[in-house]
Amino acid sequence: MPEKIQGLTDRATIESSGNIFRTVFERIQTAILIVDPAAHQIVDANPLMESLTGLSKDQMLGKGCQGFVCPAKCGECPVTDLHKNILNIEREIINAKGERVPVLKTVAKADIGGKEYLVESYVDITEHRKAEERQAALIAYLSESILRAKKPLELMQEEFHEIARRAKSGDYDPEDVRMELELHAKNLGQIVKNLEELQAKALEGKTTEIPPEFREFLIRK
Amino acid sequence: MLCLLVAQPEKVGDMNLMVIKRILEARCTPLIVTVNKPYKVLTKIYAKEGISPESYYVIDAVTQYSGGACPQTPRVKYVNNPANLTDLGIAITEVIKQMPQGKKCIIFDSVSMLLIHIPSATASKFLHFVVNKLQLSDISGIFLSVEKGLDPVVMSQMSAFVDHIMDYDQAQKSPCLL
Repeated sequence: MPEKIQGLTDRATIESSGNIFRTVFERIQTAILIVDPAAHQIVDANPLMESLTGLSKDQMLGKGCQGFVCPAKCGECPVTDLHKNILNIEREIINAKGERVPVLKTVAKADIGGKEYLVESYVDITEHRKAEERQAALIAYLSESILRAKKPLELMQEEFHEIARRAKSGDYDPEDVRMELELHAKNLGQIVKNLEELQAKALEGKTTEIPPEFREFLIRK
Repeated sequence: MLCLLVAQPEKVGDMNLMVIKRILEARCTPLIVTVNKPYKVLTKIYAKEGISPESYYVIDAVTQYSGGACPQTPRVKYVNNPANLTDLGIAITEVIKQMPQGKKCIIFDSVSMLLIHIPSATASKFLHFVVNKLQLSDISGIFLSVEKGLDPVVMSQMSAFVDHIMDYDQAQKSPCLL
């Protein structure tokens, strides 16, 4: 094939493949930023990044990545300065409304047109986090149910054995026995009420209302 | 000294007896806060072990709750319901003032039974209030509970404000219960 025709074919192939990659970049279900590592500035963003951040592409272009999608200070970039591998790390980005959005972040270096860029991809894990919270809340409520039912029931079981022993010994008058039986009957009623309340809260979806330290403890476990 | 003592459910009664005996041996005046047994039953259990009702004070949160009679005696104060933490707090303050000078120790029997009447988070706040009161008045406190009967948050908070957490066996051998 003559040299001139070969060159035209290559360019067409490159342009055609460029178009393919542009289409993939715009349609892929992962938010992507292209960052200039020297200036730490955003040079491109795909539509999913726009919806993740709530910012338009124009608002993001030229913006510094530090303080926006990265908590590192100037000179402490984990990729370019500290040479760390960022692969599926849990991070938070701050969207246009100022809300923190939990994401899985991956950064890869890529040569584009002879220049090195950082390709940063973000997967929104908000729903995953919510599922974790729901699971933690459920465990918290189950734990509370056990604490407020199982353990007192075990204690009361022992008390009933004791009452039976004491009644047999003749050291206690009927009023003592009546009082203790009445007390434990009331305790049993309260345990049933506690379980009903816990169940009602769980059904009303109030299971997310658990103390943060308890949630952290459960997630840590 | 503030201690959280834990035992298997079948050992909680024995643990109560061991603790009050140790307190009396140390020439310390005990105040038993009971949400577990009525005063009348408690005195009979103690009397069987040779412990005179003149040697201790009681705050009883269950006699009135179980419809029993509450005869007024100088060494016992009744609270109408174990969930009535306000009255329980007031009773603790009043009885502490009423107790003679010298070493005093509160036995709380038991944290596990209190959880029937109030949620863990509320129990934790109340216990923190009691601990603060004891620390300010330089009074020892021993909290009894069933083993694994406290939620991790209450447990971590308790471990932050008590000096020791011991099980019944350790407590029997420990010289530093008070």
